[in-house]
Amino acid sequence: MFSNTTFRTASRLSSRQVSPLLKSTSVRATSSSFPAQTRSAGTTSENVTQDQAHSILAAQRKLRPISPHLSIYQPQLTWYLSILNRITGVALSGGIYVFALAYLAAPTFGLHLESATIAAAFGSLPVAAKVGIKAAVALPFTFHSWNGIRHLLWDTGKALDIKGVYRTGYVVLGLTTLSTVYLAFM
Amino acid sequence: MASAFRTSALRTAASAFKTCARPALAAPKIAFLKPQPRIAAFHTSKSLSILPPGRQVIEGTINDAAPVPESNPSHGSYHWTFERLVSVGLIPLTIAPFALGSVSPVTDAVLGAAVVIHSYIGFESSIIDYIPGRKHPTAKKVFMWILKGSTVLVLVGLYEFETNDVGITEAVKRVWKA
Repeated sequence: MFSNTTFRTASRLSSRQVSPLLKSTSVRATSSSFPAQTRSAGTTSENVTQDQAHSILAAQRKLRPISPHLSIYQPQLTWYLSILNRITGVALSGGIYVFALAYLAAPTFGLHLESATIAAAFGSLPVAAKVGIKAAVALPFTFHSWNGIRHLLWDTGKALDIKGVYRTGYVVLGLTTLSTVYLAFM
Repeated sequence: MASAFRTSALRTAASAFKTCARPALAAPKIAFLKPQPRIAAFHTSKSLSILPPGRQVIEGTINDAAPVPESNPSHGSYHWTFERLVSVGLIPLTIAPFALGSVSPVTDAVLGAAVVIHSYIGFESSIIDYIPGRKHPTAKKVFMWILKGSTVLVLVGLYEFETNDVGITEAVKRVWKA
């Protein structure tokens, strides 16, 4: 708006002498004495084929800022327990899948994964290792179980407000701690 | 102990030092004179390219609205209800071995099957969430088929374990008590 007015005034006065006031104004408005119009590639909609338009858009998209990464969000019980539920679930299911596939492949590779062999190997471990391994299995198992019940409670429409989410979250953490300790020393 | 020495005046001074003095000391003065290359205005956070941008998919013309998928209860409510039924069913199946000490081979087999179905649903949801099919259709297909294939093999493996070994519940119990 401002530079347009300057441009019109400047063109009117161009044949005559330019006043010092106008000179300084035009310098402030643009870098050159006459403002050059610029158009970015995306705005020239005429004479652009569909394929060209797509490639222009695809190129523009790659320059767009990506959404912020997880580290900028405040650690909160809500999303921490949510992602822990998925991580523990994938870890537990992954363990079951790996064991079942290994058990199926064991005869081919000469491995011994019978329950008796595993129990004998586990029994020969020192007590600290036994408790540690049991805790490492019990923690994701109990957390995913208690949090699963929390999810089923939400599915009935209960405890869906912020207060309910936090209260049930702390209950899940408490129950997970107790049951993990119990199972680890069982 | 140390907090006794931190008077309010000191705290103010410390926070003033933190907010004002630190950036000036950390960043050399030349940084204020040189125009910093920025991709987008108002984008103040540091750009971390974790993965390269994937294939850019544009369906239809640029101004087309996103298509609304056809609604089908077997993809929505029935599927949801089935998932909940499996989850609810897992509760008594998990408690029974603890409460009774041991379970019948049939209950053990049902537990194994329910765990595999529950796992399959969980893995499927993870693939859908983290490998968007619109951007990476081939990768999604490959992962889905790997999941389907491995799930069938896992079911065969668990069948073998149930018939040739002592069963899931009894095996866990024996290892845990070893």
